[in-house]
Amino acid sequence: MGNGDGKKKIAMVVSECSFDKALMPLILGSSGRALDAEVHIFFTFFGLNLLKKGFKPKLKGLMRPFTGMMIRKMKKEKVPVFEELIDQCRELGVKFYACSTSMKLMNVKKEDLIEGCEVAGAATFLKIALDADVTLFI
Amino acid sequence: MEVKKTLDTRGMACPMPIVKAKKAIEELNPGEVLEVIADDPGAKEDFPAWCEQTGHILLEIKEEGDVIRVYIKHK
Repeated sequence: MGNGDGKKKIAMVVSECSFDKALMPLILGSSGRALDAEVHIFFTFFGLNLLKKGFKPKLKGLMRPFTGMMIRKMKKEKVPVFEELIDQCRELGVKFYACSTSMKLMNVKKEDLIEGCEVAGAATFLKIALDADVTLFI
Repeated sequence: MEVKKTLDTRGMACPMPIVKAKKAIEELNPGEVLEVIADDPGAKEDFPAWCEQTGHILLEIKEEGDVIRVYIKHK
């Protein structure tokens, strides 16, 4: 598998925008790049929110009011927070894709998205996934 | 063993130690040695995995209590 040059390829789909679902693909994505793998992350449905400029993911449900407390704890423990992970992933060359259909459904324009992400459809993701060594649905 | 560069990741949590190590080793030339100091509890398992995957050579892991020193030779 992979793309023929011996490099491993990781593909992820992110369909939710809660705090935990936001962090996991970015932590795995930056680790994947550190392991010299290609990393492609496809953001669909609510996951698309994570690519919007200025979006801040919150903890789920009743935990939501404790999001700030969690961020302070993460900073204290030197765990990178969402914005740092997004920047780190882009710096390391993780590829971000915004689902075109989700953009229509959620009235998101290309200019609403952070820089450096591609707008793509299911076929783009599947072409990557078919050739990937690891595919994760987050 | 001549250490070309030391990276102190004490206090940092996963995935920062390996991300920083990747950046640090890219600044070295083949054959040069990077020393990483880490206290993340996952680091002892993560660095051998990282080396195996990237091809950089794990020379030694020294344990000093909760802190480990990892010596990695650029491939």
